[in-house]
Amino acid sequence: MSDPSQEPQKFEPRIVAFLCKWCSSAGSDLAGVSRLQYSPNATPITIPCSGSVSPLYILSAFNKGADGVLVSGCHPGDCHYMEGNYLARRKLYLVKELLQFVGLEPDRFRMSWVSAAEGAKFAQVVDGFVKDIRTLGPQNRLRR
Amino acid sequence: MVNPKEIRDYAAGLLEQGRVKSVIGYRRGTAGCFAEPCTLTEPGEAGSLVWDPTCLNNLALYLVKDRKQQAASRTPDRRPIGIVAKGCDSRAVAVLLQENYFKREEVVVIGVSCEGTGVVDPRKLKNSLKGRSALKVEFGGGESIRITTRAGESELPAREVLADRCLECREATPKLHDVLFGESLAERGYDAPFRAVKAAEATSGEARWATWQHHFDRCLRCFACRSVCPLCYCPECVVDSTSFVITPQTSAEEKANRIRWCERSANTAESALYHLTRAIHLAGRCVDCGECERVCPVNIPLRLLNTKLEMEAFEQFDYQAGRDYDRPALISSFRDEDPNSFIR
Amino acid sequence: MEKILAKEKLRDWVASLQGCEVHGPAFADAVWNYAKAEGDIDLRHTNTVGSVKAFAFPQREVFFRFEHKRGERPSLVPTLPEPRPTVVFGVRPCDGRGMPRNDTVFSKEFKDPYYWARRDKLILVGLACIEPHSPNCFCQAAGGSPCSEEGLDILMTDLGDRYHVRGVTAKGIEVMERGRDAFKEASGGDQAAVAKAHEAACKEPQRTFGDLVAIPDAIRRNFEAPLWDEMARHCIGCGICTFLCPTCHCFDINDEVSSPGKGERVRTWDNCQFPDFTLHTSGHNPRDNLGMRLRQRVSHKFLYFVENHQTQQCTGCGRCISECPVGIDIAAVLERVSQS
Repeated sequence: MSDPSQEPQKFEPRIVAFLCKWCSSAGSDLAGVSRLQYSPNATPITIPCSGSVSPLYILSAFNKGADGVLVSGCHPGDCHYMEGNYLARRKLYLVKELLQFVGLEPDRFRMSWVSAAEGAKFAQVVDGFVKDIRTLGPQNRLRR
Repeated sequence: MVNPKEIRDYAAGLLEQGRVKSVIGYRRGTAGCFAEPCTLTEPGEAGSLVWDPTCLNNLALYLVKDRKQQAASRTPDRRPIGIVAKGCDSRAVAVLLQENYFKREEVVVIGVSCEGTGVVDPRKLKNSLKGRSALKVEFGGGESIRITTRAGESELPAREVLADRCLECREATPKLHDVLFGESLAERGYDAPFRAVKAAEATSGEARWATWQHHFDRCLRCFACRSVCPLCYCPECVVDSTSFVITPQTSAEEKANRIRWCERSANTAESALYHLTRAIHLAGRCVDCGECERVCPVNIPLRLLNTKLEMEAFEQFDYQAGRDYDRPALISSFRDEDPNSFIR
Repeated sequence: MEKILAKEKLRDWVASLQGCEVHGPAFADAVWNYAKAEGDIDLRHTNTVGSVKAFAFPQREVFFRFEHKRGERPSLVPTLPEPRPTVVFGVRPCDGRGMPRNDTVFSKEFKDPYYWARRDKLILVGLACIEPHSPNCFCQAAGGSPCSEEGLDILMTDLGDRYHVRGVTAKGIEVMERGRDAFKEASGGDQAAVAKAHEAACKEPQRTFGDLVAIPDAIRRNFEAPLWDEMARHCIGCGICTFLCPTCHCFDINDEVSSPGKGERVRTWDNCQFPDFTLHTSGHNPRDNLGMRLRQRVSHKFLYFVENHQTQQCTGCGRCISECPVGIDIAAVLERVSQS
């Protein structure tokens, strides 16, 4: 019998998903209660607002071995705190540009607007992300 | 050309009239031909002030240092401080004002225009002298630098020895000033702003990662880039344990539960985390004084990380750090037309 | 053992060192630093920005790996380095003199196995400084010389078209033996040329700071003087001076945990100029300003080390002066201390 530890393990992407509690987090719940089938590779972390995502969270996730990082918040105009998602958009645009500038693959960091009613969209965003990361393979550039 | 005597007289005047408690400027150093920072408190000391292309430091750092000292002091001295400032230094003062680090009336900006040149890059200078050391470096008038070595005097085109930041400088004359020495030149015949970043961006992602991996790997984590930056003023830096603010009131639990974002090991991933966090934290704040790159002992092109973000700020959000100091800061503001297409 | 090596034969000597790791100075990213040598070694370097100490005392050393699986006993796997013999070319005499000082520190009370595992395999091939490599050299003021053999296994001297190569230690002579075909015997004329070159090198102008023997007393006398604060007034508190120093050896030990219950215990360089270096767990910091930290750095080199080991710890390489972003100058500090 072959030793299972010797077999090449199939690559399973590990995605850290920062989800706004007012929209995307509820959207992911909706995807669940609607019994939608989608990739189980995203680890959700609920946050109060996409505007509260510090760039350090993203860098730290990559540092600790995430293959991809998703930040998902409310559509423009829908922020519970009026403007948090607009601030997130500007801040995370800069993060995305910086990561690409030092040569991290552009597909490793993604942002999405998913409302509480968009369970199907959430499933689709995660599936698409996982598919793209599968083609890229493990993230070894920024991980320790 | 700026006559250093005018700066000395003005500084002496400020001190004599008691308008400032001290003047931060440049004097001749003991280590080679480069100027070093100095703090004058007596009018009689003003004679030691110099102004030449070796005045590399961004002295705004010492305004920050003074502020921290006064905050910790039982008998704080909040009288104004005079500071000799080049174009980039005055932009740093402007950002500090914007961030309410001190008030406008607490600083007297002695603006000095770099006119047609700027400051030299010590490494470029050494290379152009084939390893020999310069004894004296002066403005040669126009776009030239005069250099004296043991072999004699020579004049070099400024382009050959100027620091990269000066070649790409967008404002060599301090806009924020209380007094200005030297001419304000609108046109300088050097590189377009963001030239180096654009050149780096033209290469492939693979090539860029190869470059940055190489550089992050070489980082010694001496933190000179952070220590020298006038805008890296946080009392507690998020990426290392060396500046934890611990007081007798800090509980054991707080100490134990502090998140260690970044390990002390100087390896590629940890150094990448450090430099990228620092770059992001300076987005819309970096005034491109280039000090981080100048002080790096292993010559990591750190300026590129910051100018990349400044370029995005300018091109996407029409924002320039140090120019728009009466506006809200870059990342605490937004516009409806901000880029949105990258979001799914 | 004294030999002559034609400059074009350096390549052959390096090629004879199979099985060894060979490092030499290389100019990359606009700075000179040590790099793994492939083929030729460029010995036209000034001084490398990093010092040779890192070959025995790397910035990061893993002591052991640990893992604690649920229900099992925790396991520790020691990670004592087992390097191949490592030959470093182009070591300046100031760096060479640094190594015996580091050896003392890592063996006097406790023989550090990690340091010695690397140090025992290290062979230093020095290159005399025919001219000062920086305006801030002060090896002679610090009790050394631009052609000192102390701490080196081999000393090379550039004689224009050829090197004079002297084997200083048994380890060094062995390395010369391996490349014996590349060398020629040194004639009387060669020996005279070396003596002349060394004499001329010692006459090159260098920084000075008064009487070395009087400095410990001068530091004691000025311990509470305001001059430390004045001299450190513009210090930015970075780690350049100590990280580049050939004899600074302070370190920190941390557990780096990669996943729950699993990780490494790691030694990394530490630095007396950082605020947390002396920070107590109570929040009290006995050296809480930059003046005290400058005093500590200077005192360690020129007072405490003399008290403990009867020699100065500084070897006068001048790196801390040349690389300081704000012009803090240990030679100027010592001069001022001596005169106060």
